Amino acid sequence: MTSVPMIDEILAEFLQSGLGIHVGTRNEQLLPAGCRATAIKVEDDGRHVVVFVPKSAAPAVFENLRTNGRIAVSMARPADDRAAQVKGLMMFSWDANPDEEALARAQWAGFLAQLDGIGLPGIATSSWRVFPCRAVRVKVTAVFNQTPGPDAGAALP
Amino acid sequence: MSLGLERLTSCFQGIIPAMLYTCAADGTPNAAFLSHVEYVDATHVALSFQFFNKSRRNIAENPHAVVHVTDPDTAQGWALRVTFDRSEISGPIFDAMHWRIEAIASYCGMKGVFKLLAADIYTVESVDPIPEEDGQADRSAPPLRARPPDPVFTMKALQDLSQQINTADCLEHLLDSIVVGLKQHFNFSHSMIALASEKPGTLVMIASRGYPQSGAGAEVQFGEGIIGLVAEARKPIRISGLLRGMLHAYAAKRRAEEKGWCSDERRVPLPGLDNPSSQLGVPLMVRGELVGVLCIESETPYRFHEEDKTAIELLGSYLAVAIQNMQLRGDEAEPEAAPVDTAPAGSGTRHELIYHRDEEVVMLDGEYLIRSLPARILWKLLETYQREGRVEFTNRELRLDKSLNLPGFKDNLETRLLLLRRRLDQKGGAIRLVPKGRGRFALAVSGALELMARD
Repeated sequence: MTSVPMIDEILAEFLQSGLGIHVGTRNEQLLPAGCRATAIKVEDDGRHVVVFVPKSAAPAVFENLRTNGRIAVSMARPADDRAAQVKGLMMFSWDANPDEEALARAQWAGFLAQLDGIGLPGIATSSWRVFPCRAVRVKVTAVFNQTPGPDAGAALP
Repeated sequence: MSLGLERLTSCFQGIIPAMLYTCAADGTPNAAFLSHVEYVDATHVALSFQFFNKSRRNIAENPHAVVHVTDPDTAQGWALRVTFDRSEISGPIFDAMHWRIEAIASYCGMKGVFKLLAADIYTVESVDPIPEEDGQADRSAPPLRARPPDPVFTMKALQDLSQQINTADCLEHLLDSIVVGLKQHFNFSHSMIALASEKPGTLVMIASRGYPQSGAGAEVQFGEGIIGLVAEARKPIRISGLLRGMLHAYAAKRRAEEKGWCSDERRVPLPGLDNPSSQLGVPLMVRGELVGVLCIESETPYRFHEEDKTAIELLGSYLAVAIQNMQLRGDEAEPEAAPVDTAPAGSGTRHELIYHRDEEVVMLDGEYLIRSLPARILWKLLETYQREGRVEFTNRELRLDKSLNLPGFKDNLETRLLLLRRRLDQKGGAIRLVPKGRGRFALAVSGALELMARD
């Protein structure tokens, strides 16, 4: 039996279009920790994603993922603030290979182009340490709309 | 030990969206974009609470959170470990956030929907650099904004502008010297001044610089756009990331429209720049009375630094007194009415003027010209001109004319005449008001006039 995808093709296209991505985690005392992510890849089954997290990110983020695996991935398009959030559980992680790094760089370039489009040229183009990345594979447990407004937080689709 | 929070005020201008990381009681983390973060004091920040969302529910269960902000000057990210302290629904922090959000909401037709429910105050326990958002690595990268002005430069600019203003001999020269001086001495290219109208709750644009259209005569209702909100709040409002704020509000608006919470009809067109990124509005107040509003705009995000805001607020107090003094000086030593004169030869063009008495609106050749008191004045002048052929008039005779219904004290007649003159100039100069020395002016008419009054 084929499982119903959590993320359909339309949403997958949006999530992989070069967005501002942030990862939320927490420790055993439920203290949150987060970081910026470079890119995201939605797997064909629509039930798993791979999040590319800069290896330079705070050690607490990786430590939290290692100990409890709970993760929230928030994504927003700077041009119109359309946003979504994926909740899930980290399955495992690895150093991104060259092909994955190329995918991440393409998405990052798209994100920077969007920033440029809203009048933030030059920001983060050179000084942010978003490469190399750790690829974090996540089993998706829920997807939410996060576009600002009255129904932000409603489950998708 | 100091957290150094006061050094991060640039981060709180909303140029780069902030993030809020929370965790529910069941251990599910949450990462959400934040609309506004406000500096409260050396150990507290305030976060905007606009919608009941997951973050808010999480905080009710688990008060610990992390806020990420980014410095627009250096691109350095900062992680603030915070704990929820309290919610405020009034007071200076709430007001500061409320008026900024209201200004953005008013542009998007979202007043009443995109609004601040509370300012949530958090205690900041630590501030640490975000390693992946390292702004220190490349100091040669162009900064997002210019450096703040040197205090000595600001004081010198204020001094030079004050001297320029002091030499103004009439209201028109005073207002023009302000907007010209803001460009010359502060390099603020786009500025406008709206003065209180005789209509309650309304301002009228009287002077501007840096725009294709002067906008003279445009009415601004209290609560509309930054000018109307400054008038309503009687407090300065600075918006540094207007475009970002509007994108956020528009996103919320689309969702609200889908739910039938608001419609497009209430959208207020932006006065001034088509795409302002930074706006600074200051009320011009004299002893608690609102004289007008000075607004400065820029297409550059975070154009107006804290130092600029302070300087313009200071300047605003001075300008308010100067403008009011000039308005009151209109009563001094005005001459008797000038001898009757004849109109200059017409060019042969015929102009139709219609006065709608019930609305107090004058239309020129089918287009709106002016309303309210300036419209009554214009109609009086035109009727006199048609009846007697007289073209020279005095402020004094207008003041004594009971049909104009001028207020007995502080009638702002000079302001209304200046407004009328500028509107007439905008309309191509078929009819002009020409100053003829203090308290006197002439009506210059090009072509034949056809006057019609309608009730």
